[in-house]
Amino acid sequence: MKAFEYATALSTDSARQLVADHGAYLAGGNDLLGLLKEYLVSANILVNIKSLPGLNQIESGSKNWTIGALVTVGQIEGHAEIKKTFPGLHEAASEVASQQIRNVATVGGNLSQHSRCWYYRHRDTVCLKKGGDLCYARNGENRYHSLFTGNDCISPVVSNLATAFTALDATAIVLRDGKETRMGLAELYQKAWENPTAHNSLNPGDLILKIEIPTARRRSAYLQASDKHAFDWALVNCAAAANVVDGKLSQPRVALGCISPVPHQVQAANDFLDGKILDDATASQAADLILKGAQPHEHNGYKVPLAHALIRRTLLKLKG
Amino acid sequence: MKSPEPENFGAHSRRTFLKTLGTAAVTAAAARAQSVAAELEKVNAEKTLGPGAVPVTLKVNGETLKLMLEPRVTLLDALRNYSSLTGAKESCDRAACGACTVMMDNTPIYACQKLAIEAQGREITTVEGLAKNGKLTKVQQAFWDKDALQCGYCTPGFVMSVTALLKKNPRPTAEEVKHACAGNLCRCGTHPHILQAVFQATGVNTASKTEVMDYA
Repeated sequence: MKAFEYATALSTDSARQLVADHGAYLAGGNDLLGLLKEYLVSANILVNIKSLPGLNQIESGSKNWTIGALVTVGQIEGHAEIKKTFPGLHEAASEVASQQIRNVATVGGNLSQHSRCWYYRHRDTVCLKKGGDLCYARNGENRYHSLFTGNDCISPVVSNLATAFTALDATAIVLRDGKETRMGLAELYQKAWENPTAHNSLNPGDLILKIEIPTARRRSAYLQASDKHAFDWALVNCAAAANVVDGKLSQPRVALGCISPVPHQVQAANDFLDGKILDDATASQAADLILKGAQPHEHNGYKVPLAHALIRRTLLKLKG
Repeated sequence: MKSPEPENFGAHSRRTFLKTLGTAAVTAAAARAQSVAAELEKVNAEKTLGPGAVPVTLKVNGETLKLMLEPRVTLLDALRNYSSLTGAKESCDRAACGACTVMMDNTPIYACQKLAIEAQGREITTVEGLAKNGKLTKVQQAFWDKDALQCGYCTPGFVMSVTALLKKNPRPTAEEVKHACAGNLCRCGTHPHILQAVFQATGVNTASKTEVMDYA
């Protein structure tokens, strides 16, 4: 790591001032220190935001829950009420990395982590995501890469929580230019769809403050498939949320991660599922809709049937 | 293990200070140390420190370490290279292997991916802080008895993860042990013996409960 200055911020205003143009916010530090050690990002100051007031709370409510951006993934995993209210979120959190990481990793950091593409993470490779000319994964080793993208970079979003939050129709509250801005999860990642150098839609200096989750959907589920049983990123992950009344779905939402630079969701599939009775055939048709137009590359064709199976299983988990 | 004595270590270590006091005073002193740390954090807050070395005070295994560190120095680096506490191992240095696992306020974390300057005011426990008066803890003894190591490089990390688990959950299932140890890698493949060791430490008869840990 190159040398940097360090400060602890006690208010969001001073955090923003201290970060200025060339600093970075430090919370759990898992992703940031990895990036600094590989010289993938540079920062002249690290601003510790762990002391910002009110951002490490989980607050329940009748219509919405809010989860502060500084809440750790481990806190979500250990929260009995979240397990009951948002089982899909709880399952997604439990599958994040290892306990050592979950104990320090924050919700904000999990959502804003950079691409795990090995070309991006290799310090000597100047790929498209780093401002180079070429996505090396397109004609290279692409087994972990996207089936969908709106630009030439095929590295996918890998945040488990993003997938779960998308299915739950959560909203991120982001501090931007001194004001609180509300962004749906789709909006939070939209820029990564369009712009190969973006990992999400956050501008320099933007800070995720809270995530608001509506309680409208009583059931949720999450599943992932990984190379290893534990302590691994997903090859594909899937979350679904809905209400189920007499076996019929209402307000269903399905999202997938690790197959697109944004949490992948297809409105036509959500519309199709609305009012349907959950069974194998329905789940399978929804999976067809969700994966329509998938563009596999040389080594990641397996993700299509894998995603198909995960969508079916996750939906059927909603039956309880 | 020799006590860490960095050059600029204060004239009175926490240990010698506490030796001169009774138990009641120790409790009061500990409480005061916490509030002093909190005060210090407030005073230093919003002040830009570094990039050169700055005073950093760490509480490790009950002792106070006063160090001069650049803000970029990780907790692992501070322990191993500035304090002679080499129990926590450096292997991947990327939060991927678990060899550097230490406890921060009884919670296992990777010391390689935490800045030392951030760990001020927290109780850090390394593997050196477990045995008291030369007597191994139940977990350490169980690793010894069950031969739960081969090259031993990952062992301190596993011992810390298991110790933290048993503090929270004194009778874990095999699944819970696996979940808690998923962030520790052993390339020698000693996992079955580690599981036996955990069972011994929890007082379960391992002869009948042994199973091979499936870490596929």
